Amino acid sequence: MGRRKVVSVLMVLVWGIVLTLGISCLSLAQEKPTYKVVSDISWPPFEMVDEQGNYVGFDLDVMRAIADLKGYNIEIKDLSFDSIIPAVAAGLADIGASGFTITEEREKQVDFSNSYWTSDQAIIIRADSGLNIATALSSGRKVGAQRGTTGADWIQTNLIDQGIKVELKLYETYPLAVLDLINGNLDAVIQDEPATRASLKKQESLSLAGIIITGEEFGFLVAEGDPKGILPKINQGMAELKASGEWEKLIAQYFGD
Amino acid sequence: MNFLTLDWKTIFPQLLKGTLTTLQLTAIAISLGFVVGILLTLGWLYGNKPIRIFCRGYVDLFRGTPLLLQLFIVYYGLPRYGIRFSPFVAAILGLGLNSAAYQAEYFRGAIQSISQGQMLAARSLGMSEFKAIIHIILPQALRIVIPAWSNELIYTLKYSSVAYMIGTTELMFAGKIIAAKNFRFFEVFLVVAFIYLIVVLIISHFLRMIEKRAKIPGLQMIS
Repeated sequence: MGRRKVVSVLMVLVWGIVLTLGISCLSLAQEKPTYKVVSDISWPPFEMVDEQGNYVGFDLDVMRAIADLKGYNIEIKDLSFDSIIPAVAAGLADIGASGFTITEEREKQVDFSNSYWTSDQAIIIRADSGLNIATALSSGRKVGAQRGTTGADWIQTNLIDQGIKVELKLYETYPLAVLDLINGNLDAVIQDEPATRASLKKQESLSLAGIIITGEEFGFLVAEGDPKGILPKINQGMAELKASGEWEKLIAQYFGD
Repeated sequence: MNFLTLDWKTIFPQLLKGTLTTLQLTAIAISLGFVVGILLTLGWLYGNKPIRIFCRGYVDLFRGTPLLLQLFIVYYGLPRYGIRFSPFVAAILGLGLNSAAYQAEYFRGAIQSISQGQMLAARSLGMSEFKAIIHIILPQALRIVIPAWSNELIYTLKYSSVAYMIGTTELMFAGKIIAAKNFRFFEVFLVVAFIYLIVVLIISHFLRMIEKRAKIPGLQMIS
């Protein structure tokens, strides 16, 4: 390459860089911010995939409605439940929306929005197993739960740590635990009550053994200290949705019969 | 990142238990794969037509589909037909049967690299084909195959981590549980990676020693 050629190639490069930077700065100034929402999308009716392959569910529709109200965009990503808090804490995602119970342990890692749902833990069994909530949770039984959930914690702290030798088996997703129960590899599965009711509707071979009243509050979560100032938007958005009646509509859509 | 603030007293035993399960899983699966793999190779090279077709079909099927899918079919799919395994046994079957396909290919390569003349010579000395395979071909092939087979052993050890998806409580699973509990994914996974690395280094060291001792001086290859 001759010297002139080198110079002209350099010029083109420099102009290219300047132009791209300029355009991206301009578009940044004009566009609404986009927040990355992460959710474990295997947990109807809070988060699930519909027949067309869209991500739907109560949590995700609430996220979309708030984003519309508050003037930002969201991008929803599917992530395994136990990876959501680390991802948000590390700044890889902005909002965690996956039916998270607000707990002290989690509060140390992330910040929660106001509570938007109250849930208890439910125990399901195979309908033909002849078990009840007491026998299903006695020594020697195999109980399934999703990894990183409050249901798994409940079995650990209230049964295993108290000397009741149930075998706690942990799964990547809730449907896999349910599948293993149907397959006969488990005696019971513990999970939050609303998701349990949704899976009972679909699986006639399963039945509800009972509810454990835990009174857990669900919240949306963001990184510790809310560096992007998202929490006020979510809290205001929820209040506005409730005031306008939109909230009740979403509840009816996902939890009505 | 701070490794010191992790509760090592409770974490270490869990990781150790997971490591032992990983080692057991790998050892049994690779042995299963070894036996099935040799049978597949012999069937492919010396069997009659139906056996040949079966062996080739097996290798194509297991090499052509993802390991995770095979594990899911064995663990979550088969119970529908009343065949039920524990996560550990399902992982052994999935990993072992998968590894068999790869090992069969390695063995086939090794056997085919031995001069055809040796089989002819053995036959002309009055050995049956079976005897020639056992006494002449396999002893050489098994030595030639050691470097490739070492690879397969190390792969199987590392791919056994996929078994966490069906709830086998191996090293990866132990790491995931610990990390999910204290939200310290990065530190815990680094430690898990380090354990895998150490185990692989030890295994490859031993295999290299075996390879050296089993070397055949002046071995005659394809001519």
